Amino acid sequence: MTGKLATSAALWLLATITAVCLLAPWLAPYDPSAQNLLLGAQPPSLQHWLGTDSFGRDLLSRLLHGGRLSMLIGLCATAVALLLGVSWGATAGFVGGRTDALMMRVVDALYALPFVMFVVLLMVVFGRSLALLFIAIGAVEWLTMARIVRAQVRALKQSEFVEAARCIGLSNRQILWRHVLPNCSGPIIVYTTLTIPSVMLLEAFLSFLGLGVQPPQSSWGALISQGVETMEEYPWLLLYPAAALTTTLLCLNLLGDQLRDWLENSSPGGAA
Amino acid sequence: MLLYRAQRCAAVLAIVALLGACSPAERRADLGSEQGVLHWGNASEPQSLDPHIANGVPEQKILSALFEGLVGKDPQTLAPIPAGASHWQVSDDGLRYRFFLRPQARWSNGDAVTAEDYRWAWWRALQPQLGNPFATLLFVIAGAQQYWQQQHGDFDQVGIRVLDRLTLEVELAHPSEHFLQLLDMPTLYPLHRASIERHGNPSARASRWTHPGNLVSNGPFRLRQWQINRRITVEKNPHYWEAQSVALNQIVFYPTENITTEERLFRAGQLHYSYDVPVDKLRYYQRYHPEQLSLAPYLGSYFYRFNTRRPELADARVRRALAMAIDRQLITEQVLRAGQLPAFAMTPPNTAGYYPPATAPQQLRFDPAAARALLAAAGYPNGEGLPSLEILYNTQEEHRKVAVAIQQMWKQHLNVDATLHNQEWKVYLDTERRGDYQIARASWIGDYVDARNFLEIWLCASDNNRTGWCDPEFDRILLEALPRANSTAQRHQLLQQAEQRLLDGLPLLPIYTYTSKHLIHPDLRGYSANLLNQPLFKRLWLQPHNELGDE
Repeated sequence: MTGKLATSAALWLLATITAVCLLAPWLAPYDPSAQNLLLGAQPPSLQHWLGTDSFGRDLLSRLLHGGRLSMLIGLCATAVALLLGVSWGATAGFVGGRTDALMMRVVDALYALPFVMFVVLLMVVFGRSLALLFIAIGAVEWLTMARIVRAQVRALKQSEFVEAARCIGLSNRQILWRHVLPNCSGPIIVYTTLTIPSVMLLEAFLSFLGLGVQPPQSSWGALISQGVETMEEYPWLLLYPAAALTTTLLCLNLLGDQLRDWLENSSPGGAA
Repeated sequence: MLLYRAQRCAAVLAIVALLGACSPAERRADLGSEQGVLHWGNASEPQSLDPHIANGVPEQKILSALFEGLVGKDPQTLAPIPAGASHWQVSDDGLRYRFFLRPQARWSNGDAVTAEDYRWAWWRALQPQLGNPFATLLFVIAGAQQYWQQQHGDFDQVGIRVLDRLTLEVELAHPSEHFLQLLDMPTLYPLHRASIERHGNPSARASRWTHPGNLVSNGPFRLRQWQINRRITVEKNPHYWEAQSVALNQIVFYPTENITTEERLFRAGQLHYSYDVPVDKLRYYQRYHPEQLSLAPYLGSYFYRFNTRRPELADARVRRALAMAIDRQLITEQVLRAGQLPAFAMTPPNTAGYYPPATAPQQLRFDPAAARALLAAAGYPNGEGLPSLEILYNTQEEHRKVAVAIQQMWKQHLNVDATLHNQEWKVYLDTERRGDYQIARASWIGDYVDARNFLEIWLCASDNNRTGWCDPEFDRILLEALPRANSTAQRHQLLQQAEQRLLDGLPLLPIYTYTSKHLIHPDLRGYSANLLNQPLFKRLWLQPHNELGDE
């Protein structure tokens, strides 16, 4: 019962945060990059609810716009991971045999690479752009997805409804698309909700290293990274972005956990 | 997966941090004060410890501890003081210098330092295949420029003569007011020939002679240990001629690029001296520990280079418009806040009595209306049609802050969009050298106190120009007219003429004149700030403060 309550609270909170961030251009009280050097860093006040940074920029406005970017990265990179992971895993699982072994060894090999190093290398070699950031993070996150989907597909391949579909003469592609994948959607959805926060954290980490978004744009990760530099002088610059990121991540995790519980309970025959 | 790993890491880090906060952490600086070990923040990992290859400020600091030139600098006034040479004579025409070396001077392996060691080192400095970035400093010596340009292959024609084991005579191409200052620069240090030749061709760049155990030096300290990206340790050289008055037993140089981290190290008692101070920490130190903060004028200019080979920046009016749209006063007072001066020219004011042209502040004044008019005249009314500009800078908090402020000023006053791009120090240097940028953050720190040092980087052939800007008349003034000037007043007049041409062409956007900022541990004594920010390590000592009854 409490779990349910927590989930619905998380859902509402997440919906509110998302809506507020999406509506940032209309809700933000100031232009997020408008500087007021004479004002400088000011603690929260009536004019600036969350205070200002050392350039005199309104933190609330920057937080809202930054959230938009963080969420965009979360969604886009997860989409990349989803696309790659599902198609790779489904192909390997469905075709089986040597192809499967080969494809999964590729995944194993990529697993062995230090992820952060790989992303950093990508960014350094190809320069920085937002699109590349999506791809780089997505390219790192798809591996687990591929494994999960492959396991699901392998289990489902043996099931009777697939046999039945084969008997009535459906092609492999049709079986995969119409029968196998729809039955894997539970674990895929669950894993996706868990990927979004992990991607947002990775973006925060990359921005922390100075490899993420470039000024004057900012994301929550970038705001935290700049907040850390001055946490003793201007603690609000660290506190609010950190609180926003933590709350969002917590909500997403709660939601993911609950979804998994529901789906596990509702599909007794589901493979783990 | 990654999320959980990250969480686990965060938890471990938090525990470590907590433990660190609770237990009485060993304060390296206090221990160092007792043992005579100086812990010195030194910004970045040195490119090399070869005096003919290294060209950064951090390298210069280490080399000044390891080596000693003929003449040193007084750490307060920067006046020449005897070092490798006990005394010297100058001929009446100012062209001939005779240096008398100290008979007791020794290399760190015990060999005597002789006049030939200097001559051989200067020969090596002029080998073109070595690619010495400061070879041009030797051009003041008669015949050196011709030798370097390979107009003749005879080093005997260069005005460096060994009169006897301990007497060196140098003949200059023209009288020079700053020749004695040059002798304290790494490029003019003596080198130990035998130890270099033991490790291969002396004019090869990749040689192992600078490694610990191989490096033989003649300064107050010798190299003990070099852990890449961790520390470089030098220890007292027992063979140094003045070893008995060198108080420090060791100096440890730390390459800490992040100045916020460095400040925390200092506060945690891990350093005696910090290379820099983060802007946001200045107020704290000014209020609570003014005795630990050293702010002093520093002979250095902070500016942006314009890549004039790019079509959008080829028009001087565009460059001038960009230069007139930034409010330097606001940047120095609100963003930097350490007493930096707004700069309107290349040379810092009062560089050995020289002042940049008096009209410069008016020429580059902050005037958004005039800037917009210039931009419109260049074909970009209200910034329309001008491609987005990219500001390249090396990763450092302060450079980012200045760039963010300028980015916003251009947007606000000119409607010009700019993006920021940061790169690691060596990558940034390489990008800049290849000319693969639009606008790049840059600085020039005086090697010696003279305006020429700031202007000569804008010569057409200079390796430090990197903007594609080339003015033959500017070259003529510096290379032909200036050496023939026969009074200081005439010299300054010529320098002003050259600087005026530079400001008319404007391949640079002057921003501010540096202030050196350091945190200094109360135990560190004998330190005095100077215009070149060059300490004299052999005159520093450590006095543990608990001896004074402090807790």
